[in-house]
Amino acid sequence: MLSIKQIADILATVGSLYIVEETAEITIEANPGLANMAYLTAIRELGVNRLSLGVQSLNDAELALLGRIHTAAEAREAVRFARGSGFDNLSVDLIYGLPGQTLGDWRKTLDEAIALEPEHLSLYSLTLETDTPIWRAIEEDSLPDIDPDLSADQYELAEDLLAAPSYGHYEISNWARKGQECRHNLAYWQNLPYLGVGVAAHSYLDGHRFANTRSLDKYLADFSEKLPPVLDLDEEISPGLQLAETVILGLRLGEGIDINNIKNRFGIDILTHYNRPVEEMADAGLLEQIDGHIKLTRRGQLLSNEVFWRFLPG
Amino acid sequence: MEQALTRNFCIIAHIDHGKSTLADRLIELTGTLGREEIGEQVLDSMELERERGITIKAKAVRLNYEAKDGNTYRLNLIDTPGHVDFSYEVSRTLAACEGAVLVIDATQGIQAQTLANTYLAMEHDLEVIPVINKIDLPGSEPERVLEEIKNVLGYTSPDVLLISAKTGQGVPRLLEEIVRRIPPPAGDAHLPLRALIFDSHYDVYRGVIAYLRVVDGRISRGDNLRLIGQDTEMEVLEVGYFAPEPRPAPELLAGEVGYIATGLKSVEECRVGDTVTSVSHGAAEPLIGYYPPKPMVFAGIYPTQAEDYKELREAIEKLNLNDASLTYEPESSPILGHGFRCGFLGLLHLDIVRERLEREFYLSLVVTVPGVSFIITRTSGQKTTVVNPSDFPVPAEIAKIEEPWVKISVITPSSFIGSLMELITQSEGVYKHTEYLGHTKSTGEFGQRVRLEYELPLRSMLTTFYDQLKSRSRGYASLDYEFIGYREAKLVKLDVLVNDVPVDAFSRIVPPERAHDVGKAMVAKLKEVIPRQLFRVPIQAAVGSRIVAREDISAKRKDVLAKCYGGDITRKRKLLEKQKEGKKKMKSIGRVEVPKEAFLDVLKLG
Repeated sequence: MLSIKQIADILATVGSLYIVEETAEITIEANPGLANMAYLTAIRELGVNRLSLGVQSLNDAELALLGRIHTAAEAREAVRFARGSGFDNLSVDLIYGLPGQTLGDWRKTLDEAIALEPEHLSLYSLTLETDTPIWRAIEEDSLPDIDPDLSADQYELAEDLLAAPSYGHYEISNWARKGQECRHNLAYWQNLPYLGVGVAAHSYLDGHRFANTRSLDKYLADFSEKLPPVLDLDEEISPGLQLAETVILGLRLGEGIDINNIKNRFGIDILTHYNRPVEEMADAGLLEQIDGHIKLTRRGQLLSNEVFWRFLPG
Repeated sequence: MEQALTRNFCIIAHIDHGKSTLADRLIELTGTLGREEIGEQVLDSMELERERGITIKAKAVRLNYEAKDGNTYRLNLIDTPGHVDFSYEVSRTLAACEGAVLVIDATQGIQAQTLANTYLAMEHDLEVIPVINKIDLPGSEPERVLEEIKNVLGYTSPDVLLISAKTGQGVPRLLEEIVRRIPPPAGDAHLPLRALIFDSHYDVYRGVIAYLRVVDGRISRGDNLRLIGQDTEMEVLEVGYFAPEPRPAPELLAGEVGYIATGLKSVEECRVGDTVTSVSHGAAEPLIGYYPPKPMVFAGIYPTQAEDYKELREAIEKLNLNDASLTYEPESSPILGHGFRCGFLGLLHLDIVRERLEREFYLSLVVTVPGVSFIITRTSGQKTTVVNPSDFPVPAEIAKIEEPWVKISVITPSSFIGSLMELITQSEGVYKHTEYLGHTKSTGEFGQRVRLEYELPLRSMLTTFYDQLKSRSRGYASLDYEFIGYREAKLVKLDVLVNDVPVDAFSRIVPPERAHDVGKAMVAKLKEVIPRQLFRVPIQAAVGSRIVAREDISAKRKDVLAKCYGGDITRKRKLLEKQKEGKKKMKSIGRVEVPKEAFLDVLKLG
């Protein structure tokens, strides 16, 4: 976790190089258990105005399964600290689709998270990576398999529960009170340029997507020589691919893609250009057209990969 | 050399009972080759044969043996194929001999096929010399095996030799017995030529090489000969014998065994069992009835990659040059593409052909479930032979179905009888006979050995029967079968529909009372292997329009990348690209996208 001093330095450096708008969104991610009252108060005073808390679950057994060092009580405490230190834009991350997690377990975590009244929620279904402890436990039958249909039920339950306290479902995995959607993430989904600074940071500028080296030593060595960092990735995104990525990323959004917007940016009519996938996916009930937008249906959100690959070139 | 000093014989043995080792020892002890020259068993030359321990192609070796009586004898050892699928070739080999050495493993006793081949040798009036081999092994029970031989075949102690082909123990005496007991060939070199072809193979330079036994007359280089059965004419380009490498000779006389190079382009023109005579002074009657062996088992062979079709065709054509009993016809299937419906003598023959195509021609193959040929009489009175289930007429057009039946003989220790009888009965077997091979006083670990005789449809033997026979008997049971003719059958075609579309490659022919079980197993397997689609997919098994089994694959609900932020976009796009590539490799059946492997899994299902 960055120290208060480090955060102060970063913000001061940015401020000395750029004109930072007064309403700029400045987010810090923090884990419960580490974010105490003094720390949060200090960074809030430095100008950080959005806090994203990696709560993950409000069930201690699930937290232990995920290898988290914090407890549910500490997560609730972290939210209290955030409010007490003046954060009025708070996001909470939660995970569903855990092995053995019932619909009831998930409803309980969700209900309790809603009771904490965060402005923003990110709900992620567990992605099982090979060779992780959970993967091994499932292989060895000490944990049950993940049931994709139950995960789908959990997702749909979240949609229903969050609609009542009027959170907007503005992206596949993200919900927010109106006006408190995450601004920097929106830039990714709108496929707009962005600059990442620091080791392993990704950027998208001038038709290139690139990433700084993941090696801190290499990064610092180049930095001390006043050299640009070595890149781990440098990909030129062709106009065709830019279009496909814009569509795929845009479809992640609740409002979908604006047909006119695509016409202005790329000079094409999406309904003609992508005639086949659009029709096929509309027939399958995964896409719909509303008010000049094309968007995923409720079912389409959960099957979005099936929609997306059809928009890839080649 | 005098005809009286010639002995023509073969060795009858079960797989691994030591036939090839004994042949090597005979070659060595007669001084034909030194031990170090023999290397890997001389008679089995194909790599596949050596690995499987079976001989597929018969060959003949001439051995000169100086006997204790002071005479030098010419021994012609003719190799026999060891597997039931090649019983026609075995019978032709036996017809070329006056005697047979019957080899029985001292640790295992008589096996079903050995018994069948011994009876065949007796029918051909061969002098049989039984030997019990592997007496050097610690687990050997020569006493028990001796008693089996006595009970089943009627040979008693002094006539049965105890040997170890590996160490050579008892083999010198066997050589003496061969000379003493096996009669010299009859036949007259002055009569018109009659020679029996007992094997043939194709040679790129000299055309078909035919292995033959001259019964009457003589063959010289340059002779014009005719095959009585097939009416093929040819000129003899070369005459010779094997010792064990080919040695050209001026002529082959009555009673002798050797080869001729014919210049013919395919073994199909010069098949085993036919009689060779001379064009000018021809004999009228063949030696034994000639008939080309008919394929009994059929399967579709397809290349895994459609672009390999041409290579597959060329490879099958090449194999066919040397294997006239392999038949093939082009066939195509919407799922599997272009391939061939091939006919085989039996399952082992199918296995050998498949392995040779894969190993010698580096082909990746899809082989469909093996089936038999049905004779169908339509209501119109027209008769057709159907080898592909998808060609089965609709029930309303069928007046009568006939299918091939076999008589099987199973030799097993008595403890497994119950389980084996159950298996055979489930496989529609009809009980015929039980025979005990030994007395109770000499029972082995699993009881005394018993021979069971049943009749059953060949169809029921084609999938898991043999594997089950082996596993239910812990590997002890041995099986022999022979074709006994066509019998009327009550059978139906079971179709499988994926999303209401029938898939021809899955159709199979079953008795009506089995339709439900087979259909249920197939739809269950398909449900397991077909990935969930964007819509619900019914999988049904049907006889005509009657659905006998059904499973639904429910629609897929979740396929989503939860996180996609600035640092993920390239990686996530690559995942989608991979997904797209995967879809391209799928076969589409009635809008259902199915990985090809899924189809293969179901085709392999017994």
